[in-house]
Amino acid sequence: MSLFTRTNRELSIRIDEFFDTIEIGILIFREGIKAYVNGDTNAFQNHLAKIDDLEGKADKLQRSIENDMIIHSILPQQRSEMFKLLGQLDEIIDTAKKSLNEFYVEIPRIPASLSHEFISLSEVSGNSAEELMPAARAFFREPHLVREKLIKVYFFERETDKLAFQIKKKVFHEMNELSLAEKAHIRYIIHHIENISDTAQDAADLLASMAIRQML
Amino acid sequence: MILLFLTSGLFLGWTLGANDASNVFGSAVGSRMVSFTRAAVTAAVFVIIGAVVQGSGAAETLSRLGEVNAMGGAFTVALAAGLTVYFMTRAGLPVSTTQAIVGAIIGWNFFTNNAVDSGVLTKIISTWITGPVLGAIFAYALYHLVKTARRRIKIHLLKYENWLRIGLMTVGAFGAYSLGANNIANVMGVFVPSIPLEDADFGIFVLSGAQQLFFLGGIAIAAGILTYSKKVIETVGTNLMELSSEAAFVVVLAQALVLFIFSSSSLSDFMVRIGLPPIPLVPVSSTQVVIGAILGIGLYKGVRNINLKVLGSIASGWITTPVAAGILSFLLLFVVKNLFSIDVGHSVNPPASAGKGMSMAAIIRYSIPVLLFITAIYLVWLILSEKKKTERINKKYYE
Repeated sequence: MSLFTRTNRELSIRIDEFFDTIEIGILIFREGIKAYVNGDTNAFQNHLAKIDDLEGKADKLQRSIENDMIIHSILPQQRSEMFKLLGQLDEIIDTAKKSLNEFYVEIPRIPASLSHEFISLSEVSGNSAEELMPAARAFFREPHLVREKLIKVYFFERETDKLAFQIKKKVFHEMNELSLAEKAHIRYIIHHIENISDTAQDAADLLASMAIRQML
Repeated sequence: MILLFLTSGLFLGWTLGANDASNVFGSAVGSRMVSFTRAAVTAAVFVIIGAVVQGSGAAETLSRLGEVNAMGGAFTVALAAGLTVYFMTRAGLPVSTTQAIVGAIIGWNFFTNNAVDSGVLTKIISTWITGPVLGAIFAYALYHLVKTARRRIKIHLLKYENWLRIGLMTVGAFGAYSLGANNIANVMGVFVPSIPLEDADFGIFVLSGAQQLFFLGGIAIAAGILTYSKKVIETVGTNLMELSSEAAFVVVLAQALVLFIFSSSSLSDFMVRIGLPPIPLVPVSSTQVVIGAILGIGLYKGVRNINLKVLGSIASGWITTPVAAGILSFLLLFVVKNLFSIDVGHSVNPPASAGKGMSMAAIIRYSIPVLLFITAIYLVWLILSEKKKTERINKKYYE
């Protein structure tokens, strides 16, 4: 329980750095999917290595933030919710990394007719997570703005669901040239990409309730 | 011998420190914003300073209510108040040291055939009501101020919390100072007329006789804070509602301001100088002011359902505590005087004769049986309803 220390300033810098890491991770994820769908293997592997580093960095930052908050008894009343929020934000970059890894390990065959949809899906799902970051930053300075910033998160999450549904429908209803195994594989990959926006939505729900409590 | 007689006052001081200190820093410690040791040491130091520097105003008002002119009387009055607080707390009834000491002094007045100054009594009783009301008003205004300021300056949450932590320590110290200044009258007020000590010259400052007594009382309160308040915070805590750190800051500040207002003679003099009526310097119950402050924050947040039982318990405490303390004081004075042959005081200001109309004292004298009856019924109702509630919970739990 320290008064007049630099801990708080250092911690706020680290929290910002954590948010930056997640944000860059989302950008890399989108570029990675784009590279895979376009068949640019080198670029894809570069993005894979980069997201792996970023995920490791986010984990380290998350642990150090949590440690400091416990040791210096920072935000004692909101601590458990803060830890949950950090965990959910970290889950976003984890899911993004896992998705790219699935592409790398399982090498799914994405038909050329689905390229555009796949890129769009990763864009929209990534947008949902990306829009979460300004809201998370606002929570620390202007909690009254959090709710309006979260509207975009919910919007992109719904768009992701719609797009994912359309692609799945197209795959199973129209693309008879694909085998059932290929269709199932595509559905599985779509589900992974969708997961990013779902995690963003969970984090948004938590953030919204935390912001309301701050404003009361 | 003086120390022996002072023990009851010191005991009262100890219980006050143990119980009321949680009003000053209970929520800060409960929210883990401030460590207990740091808060307790700060509170202990500032309670003593407040008692010595600013304790005389409220003590003087209590003396005017009943100038207990024998050490035996002062001992018994403080003992009666202490025992009332102890037994009512054990019975789970709402109680305040402030109201107990007032009741006990009135009991002494009756026993020694001294008139009760109705003006002083009205002044004291009016502050019991205005104290929580002022607490609510201050808390409402301060909470609005804090919230607006935070929104305007867009401060980072971590930085804001750091400031709040510093603020909690500062207002906690101010709260402890005000608690000492205001509530020392409850602990040592009755001893001031009966124990005339000589001034003590320490070279750089002089302590008057009353201030020496207040110093001793302050140490007793500090001892209560250091030895037992942690247990009180852990077991009772802030049982009204869980407060956020900024609400805790506002509650402590509002309480400190109210206690300060009712104990600052310079502020009262200032009011007179600018042509306003003087502020009554009266001991007020810190717990009730805190309840008022929490209510103020609740109103700001737009709480619709106010627990009327809590408010009812405050109002019932205004009657039950002084009546119980008064009766106990009367009985104890009788025992001490007749069984141990100790001088408990004499009449210096007999009540006006019945022929000149009914005096305030006479009204109170005749209303005692009525109040006793009401109190007894209230106690029976409380015990029965508590029993019924326990049975209902047990039934629900085991079924």
